This record gives sequence, C-alpha cells and structure tokens, in this order.
Amino acid sequence: MNDDPYAGTVRTLFAALDHAAAEAFEPAGAASVYCHSQGVRLRLNAVVANGVLETVSFRACGCPHVLSACEWLCRRLEGQPVGALDELRPADLMRALSVPVAKTGRILVVEDAVRLLARKIAGPTAM
Amino acid sequence: MSDGGFYLDYAATTPVDPRVVEAMQGCLGEAGRFANPSALHAAGRASNEVVQRAAEALAGLINGDPRRLFWTSGATEANNLAIQGTLRAREHRGRHLITMPTEHKAVTDVARALEKQGWRVSWLQPEPGGLLPLERLDAAIDDETQLVSIMFANNETGVVQDIAAIASLCRRRGVPLHVDAAQALGKLALDVTALDIDLMSMTAHKLYGPQGIGALYVARRGELSVEPLFFGGAQQGRLRPGTLPVHLIAGFGRAAAIARESLRDDYTRLRTLNDRLWRGIESLPGVVRNGEADASYPGILNVSAAGLNGESLLLALEPLCVSRGSACNSQSGESSAVLRSMGRSDELAESAVRFSFGRPTSERDVDVAAARYREAVLRLRALLPCGDGRGAGSRG
Repeated sequence: MNDDPYAGTVRTLFAALDHAAAEAFEPAGAASVYCHSQGVRLRLNAVVANGVLETVSFRACGCPHVLSACEWLCRRLEGQPVGALDELRPADLMRALSVPVAKTGRILVVEDAVRLLARKIAGPTAM
Repeated sequence: MSDGGFYLDYAATTPVDPRVVEAMQGCLGEAGRFANPSALHAAGRASNEVVQRAAEALAGLINGDPRRLFWTSGATEANNLAIQGTLRAREHRGRHLITMPTEHKAVTDVARALEKQGWRVSWLQPEPGGLLPLERLDAAIDDETQLVSIMFANNETGVVQDIAAIASLCRRRGVPLHVDAAQALGKLALDVTALDIDLMSMTAHKLYGPQGIGALYVARRGELSVEPLFFGGAQQGRLRPGTLPVHLIAGFGRAAAIARESLRDDYTRLRTLNDRLWRGIESLPGVVRNGEADASYPGILNVSAAGLNGESLLLALEPLCVSRGSACNSQSGESSAVLRSMGRSDELAESAVRFSFGRPTSERDVDVAAARYREAVLRLRALLPCGDGRGAGSRG
C-alpha cells in the first residue's frame, strides 16, 4: 500500500479551511498582500487593532499542503501581536504538516506572503 | 463502494470477476492443474491444455490465431518486447521509430531509452481532440523507419485512434505496426486480422482478469522477426522464456471469454454512464472535456476545471477513487503530458481528472460522482484569490 501523501493534520485542516476569506480581492479595512510563484497563488489578509492581529484570512490556489499551511498559520497568528508574523519559520510549518521536501518551494511562497504582510502592516517606511 | 472508497478508476485496473477467480482456483492446490505446462507427463499435459484453451479464448476475442499469442507479465512487458524486440531484429535496416507523445509510459519511456541509445524517434503530435492525422504519419515514414507504435484507446482520455487507416497506411509503406491495446481489449470490437495489425499488446487486469498476465500478439512471425528480451528456456518459441503461470493464463482466458459475450452490452451501459456524468457536470463554468467525444471509448471521461489545482481537486473529491491521469504516473506529481501534447494549456492539464467506469458502476454511482465533483469544484473556486496586478511578492 502506498503511504498516505497527507499527514492527518493536513487532512483535518484541508477539510475545514475556516479562514478562507469571503473576498477574492483585498478586503476593506485589512492589510492584504498577494504572492504567486511555484504554481501557488496566495492572498493573505490581516485586520490589525491595537497591535494585535485581530483576524487573519487567506485565499489560495495550490496543493493540499499549501492550503493547509495557510489555514494552519491563520489559526496560529490570529489573536497574536503583529510581531508574531516575523517569528514564523518555514521549518516549523514543514514539520507541523509533514510537508515533503519537494514542496519546500511552495511553502517558501507562503513564507514570502507572511513577510510581505508584516512589512505592509509596519508601514511604507519599512518596505 | 469498495473498502478504499467509491471506485471510479476502472481504467487503472478492474476487480477480478468471480467466474475468473473460479477458473484460476482450478489451477491452484494439489487437486488443481498446477503442473508445469512444459512438462511432458500427464499432469503437465493437463496444464498445457488449460493454457491452450485460454489462448483460444483470447484469440477468439480478437479474431486472431492462438499460435501467435505470447504470454507476458502484462502490457508493459508486451510493449517492451514488441518495440525493443522488433527494432533489435531490424536494426541492420535502419534506426527510426515513430510513435506519439500521447502513448502510455510503457511505450514513451521505451522510445526515450532508445533515443539515448542513438535511435531516431519521431514524436507525432495529435490534433487537439487527440487523434493522429494520417498525413502526419505518412510524412514521417522514411526509408529508415522500422516500426510505428500507436495505441488503440488512450488510457487517460479514451480517445480511439483510427487503427484501420493507420494499419493500411503502414502496410502500404512497408512498415510494421505495433498497437498497445491494453485499454481496448474486451471493451471495443477489436479484430486483429481484419485490421491487419502486426503486433498487439494486451493485459488481463483491465478486463476483470488478474494482474500480472498479459500477451503480445505477433502476426506472421517468421516474416516479422522479433528478438527476445529475456533468455533462459525454450518456452514460447524462445521469444519469451520462463515457466508459464497457468492460473493467471486460465484467468486471462476466462476473462476474455466473458468479455466476448458481454462486450456489446458493456459498451452500451458505459455510453449511458459517460453521457450521464458529463450531463451532470458540463454546466459548471470552466469545466471542459478532454478528448474527442465522438471518437472516445465511453468507459473514460476526462475533464479539466480551469484554474484549479489538480491535487487539491483529487483530495476534495474523496472518497471518490479517481485519477488525475495514468495511474502509472500518479506518483510523479507532473501534469498530464498526454493533455499537454493535445494542446491543452498547463492550467487545464494541471486540473484534469479521469473518471473511468466498469461493469459494477451504477447510474447512482455516477450521480454521486457528479454531485461530488460539482461540490469540490465550487469549493475550490471559492478559495481562488485575485492578484493585485503588480506581481509583487513573486518568488522567481
């Protein structure tokens, strides 16, 4: 029997992508970034209040690992201080979701989106 | 519903028919016809009779001569034997092979290996519907050409080539024709004599027979020389040595006999199921059918949903057991080379899903599949982002 290509965590997250944004474009009142590479298209949004990531949402086209990674990080970031965006390590994400090494490039696109979002929230001087 | 899910992947393999199991059981165990069919004693002769009867059944299905059948481990080996064996025997005449990029890997990988060995291979592109234009084949044949290899029915799209016309052209140009009939055997009317095919590869497990047994039909052996790939015995005229697996051959023969009886009814049922599934999903925006509908085997329906990721689509379709393309290529993660060769964009090839039906498939199964596909496509579409038009943040 072939090994299941998806860890249980991936299957659980993929089945409940609760942080998928209602809007395909930049939502009103949110900071939003768009990245596309490696066959992945990703929009990441955050509403910030008092230095806290009040809501984090995404829209994405990608493989199950990418979609699950987006959901995983939204759940992890929501309610955290903005600084949590800088603390994300792709290796943590890869480990948590047992992402195959061949898909590292796709996970780095997710990381790019998080970094861009952090800079966008910090303001033009940080860009 | 099978143990593993809702099975709609009959182009990958089929369950063994209980009547086939019964025939195989008669060759296993002490009381069965288990003896080596090459042995000259009574038990060996009894086993050999089983093999001969199976050959007659298979030859009956294709209107061929049972003496021209050579048992192999499956269609992959039969394809290798046909292509490499024929080319080795004809190498002194020239080193040119003609095939298509839409063939199964069991042909394209052989051709690529031959290219590395210095053979010239002409890869004929199909029309967008998947069919080979005859004039393209006519133009590709030259004095060096030693074999043309074109499949009967495509394993991803079900597109059926005009083998009669292709065979006629090859005969006129004096070039042998090999046909991979793995997907067509027992499903489409296939008369190897009337079609004038020189070499034809077959397998049992696509027609409710066991895995691990196939056959190569070699018409006019003697006129058409084929070199063996294996050595080690005098079985099967030394073309394919090794002890014959009597139980597998018995199963193949029984499956062929059943297919011959049910071919017409099976075809009609599959046509109904194919039409029903397509009607259930065709109204979805951006969903397209891959392959010429009027020239396709109805046991396969291949569809793409523009803009979606195929891997996510497959997971969203669970518990449906369907494929993105060839099961033999499912672990590579590549989008379908067959569809790209047919001119489909990467985007459409990436999102392709192959539904394939079999005897156990019911109309209810197809309705469930249609509903599940609609739901999965709409769910993933609702996740698609829009870009900001600046391309910012792209990792090269």
